[in-house]
Amino acid sequence: MNSQLAFNALGDPTRRAIFEKLQYRPMAVVDIADGLPISRPAVSQHLKVLKEAKLINLRTVGNNNIYELNREGIIAMRSYLDKFWDDALANFKALAEKTEKEK
Amino acid sequence: METINLTSIKKEFLVEASQQTAFEVFTQKIDLWWPHSHHIGSSDMTEMVVEPRIGGRWYSKHTDGSEANTGYVLTYQPYDLLVLAWQIDGDFKCNPDLITEVVTEFISEGPTTTRVKFEHKDLHKLGNGKVVDSMDQGWGEIMDLYKQFVKQTII
Repeated sequence: MNSQLAFNALGDPTRRAIFEKLQYRPMAVVDIADGLPISRPAVSQHLKVLKEAKLINLRTVGNNNIYELNREGIIAMRSYLDKFWDDALANFKALAEKTEKEK
Repeated sequence: METINLTSIKKEFLVEASQQTAFEVFTQKIDLWWPHSHHIGSSDMTEMVVEPRIGGRWYSKHTDGSEANTGYVLTYQPYDLLVLAWQIDGDFKCNPDLITEVVTEFISEGPTTTRVKFEHKDLHKLGNGKVVDSMDQGWGEIMDLYKQFVKQTII
């Protein structure tokens, strides 16, 4: 599970929109693309990124490719936040100590 | 609806700085330590701001002139305690109805030693509320997995 990758994948507004859509139910590409102001190939590209970030899974039903949320990917988001605070607080600590020294 | 266990992220560490310095850097200089790659704005972030008072805004400024709210100040108690409301939900949107608390305590342990106790509480609220309400089977499974995960990681 790569939390950093997951969060970076969601840094894009279109991918967040797709991720949000899939929170309601699994969908085929055609349904995902519906209502989005981008081409089908562009949607597919975004889906690829989300899939690589393990936020969504691809399932084949008959001739249809169905995308659904990867539950572990959602958990990865929480892990990401944990990592984010680690990074932010390490920055804070370094800056506070530098500021103190310069006093 | 099933109640989800309270979840939080906790961090505790020592800073080689006075309590006042630690508090001031945390609040007034947040722009200098906040990772600028992390924001929910519509363009690159130029500045992160916490207005130093109860009810003060917590927001980011962006290159296109826009601002994006992260939350607001719940408690401003120099130099002991800062409680911020984090209102960014699981969809990376600022949700005025959402409050998750980011509590930072500054405990003086010497002239230039401060213990920082940090906690981001109520993380279970960050999920998509609409989906929680719908309680479809898929989400139920997600919650089960989430609770297992939380049990493993809770401090």
